[in-house]
Amino acid sequence: MVQEQTPANSEKATTSHHFDMEILIGYILLVGVLLSVALLAIGLIWRWERSGNLRFQHTIVGMNFSEFVLTSLRQMASNELRPRVMLNMGIAVLMLTPFVRVLASVFYFAFAERNWKYTLFTGFVLGVLTYSLFLR
Amino acid sequence: MSFHLLFLVSVVAGFVGAMSGMGGGVILIPVLTFFGMDIKNAIAVSIVSVIATSSGSASTYVRDRITNLKVGMFLEMFTIVGALAGAAITLVSGRRFLFILFGVVLLFSWAALFRQRNEDQHSTVYQDHFSQWLELQGSYYDQSIRETVTYCGTRAYLGGPFMFGAGMIAGLLGIGAGALKVLIHDLVMRLPPKVSTTTSNLIIGVTALAGTSVYLSAGMMDPGLAAPVILGVVLGATLGTHLLVRLTNQMVRRIFLGILLILGAEMIIRGVVGV
Repeated sequence: MVQEQTPANSEKATTSHHFDMEILIGYILLVGVLLSVALLAIGLIWRWERSGNLRFQHTIVGMNFSEFVLTSLRQMASNELRPRVMLNMGIAVLMLTPFVRVLASVFYFAFAERNWKYTLFTGFVLGVLTYSLFLR
Repeated sequence: MSFHLLFLVSVVAGFVGAMSGMGGGVILIPVLTFFGMDIKNAIAVSIVSVIATSSGSASTYVRDRITNLKVGMFLEMFTIVGALAGAAITLVSGRRFLFILFGVVLLFSWAALFRQRNEDQHSTVYQDHFSQWLELQGSYYDQSIRETVTYCGTRAYLGGPFMFGAGMIAGLLGIGAGALKVLIHDLVMRLPPKVSTTTSNLIIGVTALAGTSVYLSAGMMDPGLAAPVILGVVLGATLGTHLLVRLTNQMVRRIFLGILLILGAEMIIRGVVGV
């Protein structure tokens, strides 16, 4: 039995199509910010429990994002999981949040909406952001 | 500067920023420098916190379907390049120049806020071919008037280059530059006020990321300073938006305009006198 395509039906189809992109982006941003805030809070509380002091003195000396993440991950792997590493991860997650949002938009425009114009635009944004994360 | 003071200042900046819709940076940087932080460090710390506040509020606005994603994604191309250039300029420029520029931007924001927003919905706008090609039209459901508002964005050929400038200011000074972006959406592209604010929020996140990565690679990011500032600003912004349900009355507006004027004048004076 063929279902009749009523106007209400087609309208529902387009709104649910629209729905996906905005829900996807909305949740990427929400999860990214919450995760980052959680990591930063854990890092600070942990530090306070260990030393009774909340003041960190550590500046990252001339490191781009990829080096920054790699160093943090290496410290995590070598069982050096310290409050400082939690803070670094918190900041890394925060920086990745808009990046992942753009990445998801590229895929969405390319595969779900098949809109080449906006695939190109978001692809350009992704390219520039990737370049900036590897900036030296 | 003690941890507690840093955290407290950030909560207040986030709170005032969310309530006024200006973002935390414009309050944060003058106050941090007032307590003795170097202006370049204050800028670096502020811009990373801007990612958090703008992404947090954008997540709500996007799901409410008021944000125009296409307008946002078209204009982002310009703001991120601007932000990279702006942050690179900050790295090499003198501190007095940054103070004066910051003051000028604050006074400009004051003027932009001071001018009453025209509340007409720009419903009958001629849309040029380029904007049409960019598919810059949309609609959203306005809860206050219980109606679906349709609109079309126009003059994208002007909006893009202007946005490059707004992105540059954001990267230079470590702020979201939301007031500038809203102004461009509103006056140049003729978007309805609600779409202007929410879409600028989306753009601010990636713009701030571009700026942040420049400051990070220049070795100016101090996670020990950034962590309390991010947490404080996010907490303040959450309180500002959720608990107080946006006090948009005249009183709050006047107080905020006063703050902007004082901070703007203060920054210019410090820049001229030499900190």
